[in-house]
Amino acid sequence: MSPEAIWLTIIGVSLATLLPRILPVAMFSGLEFPDVLIKWLSYVAPAVLGALTAMSVLAPEGQLNISLNNLFIWAFIPTMFIAVKTRNLFWTLSVGIAAMAVLYNLTV
Amino acid sequence: MDRVELKTGAKDAIPVVLGYLPLGFAFGVLASQAGMTVLQATAMSILCFTGAGQYIALGVIQAQGAVITAIIANLLVNVRYFLFTTSMVPFLKNHVNPITASILSYGVTDETYAVSMNRYQTHPPTASYMAGLNLTAHMGWISSTLLGAVLGSMVTNTDRFGLAFALPAMYICLLVMLVNRKSDALIALVSAVLCLVIGYAWPWSMGNMFNMVIATVAAAALGVMIREP
Repeated sequence: MSPEAIWLTIIGVSLATLLPRILPVAMFSGLEFPDVLIKWLSYVAPAVLGALTAMSVLAPEGQLNISLNNLFIWAFIPTMFIAVKTRNLFWTLSVGIAAMAVLYNLTV
Repeated sequence: MDRVELKTGAKDAIPVVLGYLPLGFAFGVLASQAGMTVLQATAMSILCFTGAGQYIALGVIQAQGAVITAIIANLLVNVRYFLFTTSMVPFLKNHVNPITASILSYGVTDETYAVSMNRYQTHPPTASYMAGLNLTAHMGWISSTLLGAVLGSMVTNTDRFGLAFALPAMYICLLVMLVNRKSDALIALVSAVLCLVIGYAWPWSMGNMFNMVIATVAAAALGVMIREP
C-alpha cells in the first residue's frame, strides 16, 4: 500500500472504531430497551469471542486447517488451561506466546 | 476532577496494561514489517485503540487489499463495542454527563469494559474513574506499540517469539472471562461451530468475516430462545 492509502486506512479504521463506542452513550441515554433485545445483546459478546477464537485457532492463515501440523491448536491447549485457571489476561498471553514460541522453535 | 477516583481508575488499569504490553509490542513489530513507519504504527494506536481491528487492518495492508475492506471489517468487528457501550448506558446515565461519558467511552475496549462493569456493580461511575482507567490503558497500548515499531526493524522473524499467538490468546482469555452463564458457553460454542461451517461452505465469507457476523446473530438469537433456569 502507498503511504496515502495507509493513512486513509488509519483514519477510516479510527472512525469505524470511534463511532460505535461514542454514539450509543450519546444517543441512548434517554431510552429503555425491550427485554428481548437486552437478552439478545447479552449473548453477542460470548458469540463473537467464540467465533473469533475458533477462527484464529482453526483457520490461522485464512482457511480451515484442522491437522496435527497446525501449531495454533497445540498452543491453544495450555493457553485455555491458564485462561480458565487464572482468568487473567497477562498470564494467559504470556503462556500463549511462550507456548507458541516453544512449538515453533521445536518444529522448524 | 476527583483525584481519588482518577487514581483508582489508573490503578485498576494496571492488569489491563500488562495484558496490552505483548499485544501492543507485537502490533508494533508486525506493523513495521508490513511496511508501516513508526509514526504510522503509533498514530494508529493513538487513533484506533482496537487490538483485533488494528491486526485486521494490518492483514489488509500486508495483502495490498482495499482501504474499504479494512474499514468494513472493522465496523463488523467493532459492532461489539456498540453493544458494550449500549449496555453501559443504564449505569452511566444518572451519574456522568452524557457528553463527557460518550467522549470517555472512546477508551472502552474488551478489557476496560470488563473492569469498569465490574466496578459499577458496587460503585457509581464517575468521569474521573473512567478517565483514569481508559486513558491509562490507552497510554499502555500506545507506548508498547511505539516500542515494538522501533525495535521491529531489528527483528527479522517474529514467528520465533510466538507473537503470532498473542491475539488468539487474548480471544481465549476474553472468552473465558465473558462466559458467566452455562448458556454463554453453549452460545459461544454454537457460534464457533457455525462460523467455521459457514466459512468452509463459503470461503469468501472467511476473508470479510461475514461468517462471524452471521454466526453471531444466529447464535445470540438461539440464546434468546433458551430459558434460563
